[in-house]
Amino acid sequence: MNAIITTAVFGIVLMFVGLFVKNKQQIKYFAIAGTILAFIANWYDCTLAGGSSVILHGMVEVSKFSILFNGVAIVSTFLYFLLCGSAFERVGDDVADYFALVFFILSGVMLTASFSNLLMLFLAIEIISIPQYILAGADKKNLKSNEASLKYFLTGSFTTGILLMGIALLYGATGTFNIREMGLGTGDLSPLALCGIILLAFALAFKVSAAPFHFWTPDVYDGSPTVFTAFMATVVKAASFVAFMRLFYVSFTGGDITHHWQLIIALITAATLLIGNFTAVFQQSVKRMLAYSSIAQAGFMLFAIVSNNEMAAQGMILYAAAYSVATIGVFAVLLKMKDYTFDGYNGLARREPLLALVTTIFLLSLAGIPLTAGFFAKYFVLSAAVQAGGLLWLVILGVLCAAISAYYYFRVIIAMYFRAGEAETLPITGGFKAALLLAAAIVIALGLFPGLLLQFL
Amino acid sequence: MGIDMIIFTVLSAIAIAAALGVILSKNPVNSVLCMITCFVAIAGHYIMLNAQFLFVVHLIVYTGAIMVLFLFVLMMMNLNADIEPQKRNWLKYAGAISGGALLLVLVAALRDASVPAIQSGAPTDIGLISNLGKTLFTSYVVPFELSSVLFLSAMVGAVVIGKK
Repeated sequence: MNAIITTAVFGIVLMFVGLFVKNKQQIKYFAIAGTILAFIANWYDCTLAGGSSVILHGMVEVSKFSILFNGVAIVSTFLYFLLCGSAFERVGDDVADYFALVFFILSGVMLTASFSNLLMLFLAIEIISIPQYILAGADKKNLKSNEASLKYFLTGSFTTGILLMGIALLYGATGTFNIREMGLGTGDLSPLALCGIILLAFALAFKVSAAPFHFWTPDVYDGSPTVFTAFMATVVKAASFVAFMRLFYVSFTGGDITHHWQLIIALITAATLLIGNFTAVFQQSVKRMLAYSSIAQAGFMLFAIVSNNEMAAQGMILYAAAYSVATIGVFAVLLKMKDYTFDGYNGLARREPLLALVTTIFLLSLAGIPLTAGFFAKYFVLSAAVQAGGLLWLVILGVLCAAISAYYYFRVIIAMYFRAGEAETLPITGGFKAALLLAAAIVIALGLFPGLLLQFL
Repeated sequence: MGIDMIIFTVLSAIAIAAALGVILSKNPVNSVLCMITCFVAIAGHYIMLNAQFLFVVHLIVYTGAIMVLFLFVLMMMNLNADIEPQKRNWLKYAGAISGGALLLVLVAALRDASVPAIQSGAPTDIGLISNLGKTLFTSYVVPFELSSVLFLSAMVGAVVIGKK
């Protein structure tokens, strides 16, 4: 809870920093300091709670899982600011406000891992969503950015309505908003509750951009300023997944409830994997390819929700970390490119060998090649599904789709190393390279020793 | 049939008729006026539940502010038959089928739903302003405070998007 308060308050502080600090490049350092503060607050939460404790009238529940996920989110945001922070001022004038909005999102992100009341779930989802609508449209002169913002806002608020209706139906069925007191596992499942569960599943599937609710994703991710896409597609998406998993793991388990929704989520997973991977193959722009790849990766994260067991929670944390760090890295390099098509990467290895090398590491991780974090992330979620039983067809589909995903990730690698060309980049500083190396080191370290992260769970 | 049952039935009938009017009327201004009627009828339900605060807020926010906003938007967009987008037939059918499917599922689910009697007899006084305030600042203080983050970000957004 301290971490949530710290980030929310620091967002307000950053708005004032924008008033007093004239040099816009310096605001980035305040933001980086803010993530460090949030990390300390999160650490303090850890020593305070020492396990699982319910505080504040059962609204928020601080647990090992929530603290670990908050840590992952804070570190990812820290890396994001290090790598992409200087690109904020290319979007528009209100740099401090953009940073403030990112901090507000971060406080919502932390809420997704620790809510224990459906009201808090709704607040968390909204605190995440509303700043995103704004960030998507931050590039006011760009028509595509306007389109992205409007599309995201309309579809997103419609889905929020469905989410609320699901919550209302669940309240009607159980008489409580508390996710631990619903007691859906005992006795017959009332049809009212079942309707609520299905509506909640659809609304959350929209937020994580699972097929067939994914239609907003490519346009929004492609149209938004690249620097904000990098945040939307990583930390925010992981947070929506954590909310999804927490709700279904805590409240909709026990008895035979799981059977009621498991097949639906399994079908959504299969559709997401197929649509995400097959459409990503045909893209010409790396940014749009990454948008579709984020749908494909969502398919793998959905495995954690389908399998609904202890191992799935571990897989989710690992996947959130691996996916966020690698994708932020790829986007950071993309931000330095002048041409966002695959051809724009031609010959990057000769001009900027380091950039090409770390991009390769990140892409290998996204594809799930061994020795990178992505491999263990995929391994954990897939074996969680095997453990859950009865989902072998889905696991086989997942492995096949991982093979397809290698195709479009390797297209970038081939362009960088084996195509002749003059990849043009913006000026690259030493600090940027160091930060990239740090991110790559995290990816490889987690790929060798996933226990580094999971020991805290 | 007691007096409250009669009022409830009348209010519900008005609400449903007005809601149908919203979607059936051709003229968008009529739709908005029907919507106001619908909201007022629902506000009447709140009063019957003894939820005074909700009643007042509903009238001020929905029937007042939001409906005026709707009317402004309608005036600015200047809707008329000439610029109305042509809807394709298959789109209408697809919409009707998918909407009907959802209705079928919901009706099937709600048909034998047993709604537990939450409160019967005299209405509670939880909806009175003083009780609501006490609940809001004790059990619900965390969401209350956190929603300020939500509103703040919306305000920041309005400024960021709105200014030149």
